[in-house]
Parts: sequence; C-alpha cells; structure tokens
Amino acid sequence: MGVQPAIVSAGFSEHASKRSDVNMAELMNEAIEDALNKCNCTIDDIDCVINGNMPAFEGANIPELWMTDHIGAKNKPFMRVTTGGTTGGSVAIAAYYAVASGLYDTVLATSFEQQSCGSTTVGLSSVALGEVSIYLQLGYDFEKLRRNMGAGAAIGIGAYQAINYMRRSHCTEEDLARVVVQNRHNAAKNWWTHLKMPNITIEQILETPYISYPLRFGMVTPASDGSCAMIYTTEENAKKFTDTPVYVNGVASVSNENAIVAPEASGCGQIDPCEQLSATISAKLAYEQAGISFPEKEIDYVEVYSPFPNQEFMWLERLGLFEENTAPMQYREGVTALDGDLPVNCSGGVNSTNAIGASAMERVAEAALQIMGKAGNQSPKEIHTAIGHGWGGTINLITLSVLADQPRRKYKGGI
Amino acid sequence: MVRLEYIKKQYTRTRRVHGNWYLASYQYKFNVKRINQCLEHLRKGELVGLKCRSCNTVSFPPRLICPKCLKMPDEWVHLRDTATVATFSGTYAQEAGDTEPRPYPVVAIRQDGSDTTWLANLPEGYDFFKVYVGMPLKVKWAEDKKGDFSDIEYYEPIEDPSIEMNKKEEAEK
Repeated sequence: MGVQPAIVSAGFSEHASKRSDVNMAELMNEAIEDALNKCNCTIDDIDCVINGNMPAFEGANIPELWMTDHIGAKNKPFMRVTTGGTTGGSVAIAAYYAVASGLYDTVLATSFEQQSCGSTTVGLSSVALGEVSIYLQLGYDFEKLRRNMGAGAAIGIGAYQAINYMRRSHCTEEDLARVVVQNRHNAAKNWWTHLKMPNITIEQILETPYISYPLRFGMVTPASDGSCAMIYTTEENAKKFTDTPVYVNGVASVSNENAIVAPEASGCGQIDPCEQLSATISAKLAYEQAGISFPEKEIDYVEVYSPFPNQEFMWLERLGLFEENTAPMQYREGVTALDGDLPVNCSGGVNSTNAIGASAMERVAEAALQIMGKAGNQSPKEIHTAIGHGWGGTINLITLSVLADQPRRKYKGGI
Repeated sequence: MVRLEYIKKQYTRTRRVHGNWYLASYQYKFNVKRINQCLEHLRKGELVGLKCRSCNTVSFPPRLICPKCLKMPDEWVHLRDTATVATFSGTYAQEAGDTEPRPYPVVAIRQDGSDTTWLANLPEGYDFFKVYVGMPLKVKWAEDKKGDFSDIEYYEPIEDPSIEMNKKEEAEK
C-alpha cells in the first residue's frame, strides 16, 4: 500500500433551506475558510483540489469551473467527482486516492449543494427520465405511472426499505420517530446544522401526515444549502499542520444494482430493498484494509447516511455494528445517544441536514472531527476509531471511510 | 499567506435571476422490437419472462442483459398469472376533479416464476393499509388487448391461505 493519508482539518458552511446571502462559489468558500482556520495549513500548501456536487440540482452544469477562484484552485490540478447522493463520499475517497498514490501531498476535498437555486425535481427527473421512457414505450399508462413515480425517487426507496425493514424486525413507527427525535436534538447542539428542534417529542412527529407510507412528514430529511471541505495530506505533513491528525485507514465504494423501479434496471434477484448487499460488501472491504476484525467492539463512533430514520437501523446492522434486527432495541435503550456506548450521528445526521452533494462528505468530516475532539456536538466518550458512510447513486452505491487516531498497521495479509 | 478574504462581507444579498429549463427536447431511445415476443404473448393473454441459460435468472419484464453474469438471455419461459407484493408504499395524489388528495397504493410486485420486480397497479381506490409484503395477487387482463403492458389492467388481491394458517397456529398456542 502506498502513502498513509491523513485528515488534518474539516470545515462546514452554515446550512439553511435558503442561503440567499451567498452564491454557490461563496458558499463553498465559507467551508474552505473554516477548514483552513482549524489547522496551520494555508491555501498555498494545497497541491490539488477535488470538487463535487449533485449534477443539475442547481441548474448549473460544471459549476466547479466558474468557482475556481473562490476555492483556491487557480493554477492547480483540479477535478470534479460526482456520483449522485454519495458525491461527498466519492470526493473524500478521490482525495484519499490522490494522497495514497503519492502524486500529491496535500489535497483539498470540497463539496457543496445550493438546492434553493434550482429545482430538485428537475434534477431528479433527468435521472429518472431514461427509465420512465422505457415504461412509457412498453405501454404503461402515463397517469398511473405518474402516480407510482410520486412515491418513487429517493423517498419511495426509503419507504420501500422501511416497509421491508419493519416486516423483518417488527419495529413500529414509534421506533422510527425515536431516531428522528435523537437526530433533531443532536442537531440543535451543533452550530452548522439545518433543522434544529431541541424540544420535539415522539408524539409531535407521529401527529404529522404521511408523505409516503410509512414515512411521515416530520420524519424526512430537509433540502438544505451548504458546503463541506476537508484537507487530506500525508502522514509526515499531518504532524506539521495539526496536533491531532486523523488517519484514513480504509475506504470502499461498492455499487450493487438494486433499483426496483424500472424494467431495465430491476435487481439482480435482490427483491428485498432492505437487504443492501453492497453495504455488507463495502464494510468487509474497508474493515479488512483498516485491520478491523470486530467492528462492533472496535468502532467507537458512527456517522451513517440516513435521510430516513429506518435507514439508520438498516445501515448499522449491515455495517456490522449491531446484530440483525436489534437496532431498534439499542435505540430504545439509549446505546446510540450522545453519551451512549456507541454514539451515532451526533451531528444530527442527514436526517437533519441534507445538502445532497455535501452530505456524504459531512459524515466523514464529522467522524474525523469527533476523533480530533473539535466537533460541534462532541461526544463525551474517547473516540479512537470512527466510520463515515454514504448512500446514493441511482439508488444503490455505498461509500465508506474508516478513520482512526493511529495509522494503519503495516503488516497486512492472511495468516 | 493568501487567505481568501473577499466580497462576502460587503454584500448582504445576492441578486436572483430567474431562468427556465426547457426539458422537452430530451430523446431517450428504447427499442421495443427486441422484446416483441413478450408483447405478442401479452396480446394472447400469456405472460413470458426471459431466462438466462447460465444462471437461471428469469426476468419479467424481460431484461436483455442478465445482471448477474452479463450474458444475453435468450430462452423465453411461461409464467403463472399470480404474483406477490415484494414491497409497497402509499402516496397521495390529486387528480383532475378531486377536491383533495386521495391515497393511492404503490406496489412493486414479483411475478411468480420470475426473479425481478416491477411497479404495478392495484385496483382503483384500494386501501394501502391493507397491503402487506408477500400479499398474493392475480393478473386482471384488460378487455381489448393492444399487445403491450397496459394489457395487464391491474393486479387483483386474492385469498391468502397463510393468514388462516397463522390464525390456526396462534389458536394452538
């Protein structure tokens, strides 16, 4: 394996539903400023910049080219990575690769989303139109298709996963609401988050109407404007830039076709949407690289990508942190709370803040800051190993980064 | 040190410019000819799926490339007219003439004998609280068939023997 990459800093912009005081480039710059302020690194030390956002949601294609000046990428190698919902996770992995390969010493990874500029529906329909056209050419009634697609897109997939997960584990809507309450309360203690609701209760959430059965209006993720920036560098440089570097010991990004909406993309025999084979495989790959044999014991902090509360249960189980179907019970007992044994999403998670392109990177960034002890809502527990997870693509792409306060063990291999 | 301290602090608002994105010129291609055989069977009131010879995966609606082994499946197999609910959700939609949004079930079904799912319809006005995963369904054919997927008008829920079996088990306990 090549150079050992490390994260020295991570920064955020403030998130809100409409950041009309800044444009995309300025929004991106806020996060970069925050990241540079948290370490001894200046913009001159950056060798390469990687940028990413969800394409077409702002109505601006290739936005990274006109914001070059604002993010300090002038006269530097520059590249854009975009993989839908996991864009942030893929940008983080791209930065990891850039450092690990030895090509660049210090890499700035940036991602943003300003959804208030454009229409999310337009962006999503351009993702789905190709599939929809197949349905129409097969003779599917347009009115019926429109209705079915109404529950489609991301929320539909979330709802399908919730239905199948609830059938497997017999968890109730109250369990789902409990996850939301924990996330909203955590978000209220964090400075950059979007939905801050320090006093919300389970009953209040269960009173809101259904948006897509069984997900209620109070349970789903908002659409935010915001950005995130991270600085990756080598093991040697890391000690110069900060006292508390975080080492990236394993990454994985696994795609598994599990779309259930269209004839040309319907599953590989995986008809259960909450099976999520790709999460299991990515966990295996990343833990193997990081030398983690017992994830449930060795991992101290988890940031999962869960726009919908049921996904938090699902990912925690698929990533090997809880036994199958036991996650709702762990939430009931407070294991995942801020002061619990395994704090989950202390930042409030994607459930409270969702700037789509940046979301998956915010998971990695928040996991890194929790290890450094600089997070907005710092867990009282001492954290050595943490994971940041992302979900998206067209329904099923998983990105996973395993972070630790110690570099990867040099010996790698079988018995 | 070139710290990027710039205009942000001097401007309080950005100016908004409205623009429309004309989407209608997108042209996606899908050649229906390749699955003509399936459509002809639909006209006769029969269901066929495409089976991959190398991994035995049956797809319905037919897929032209096997997702598991990337071979071209070329064996047509007959399927039964029953199906099961693989997953479902419910949504609210307001059609023309409605005063308020009405609930609609959205179901992904798996045709018995196939290994893939697709979005189908339940009868008009079916209550989505009654739907469950594994619910047995039967094809309701349209009266005049056109030779496409609209020949399957909707899927009709049929009696589920497993409910009575569960009741018996509970009674024995």
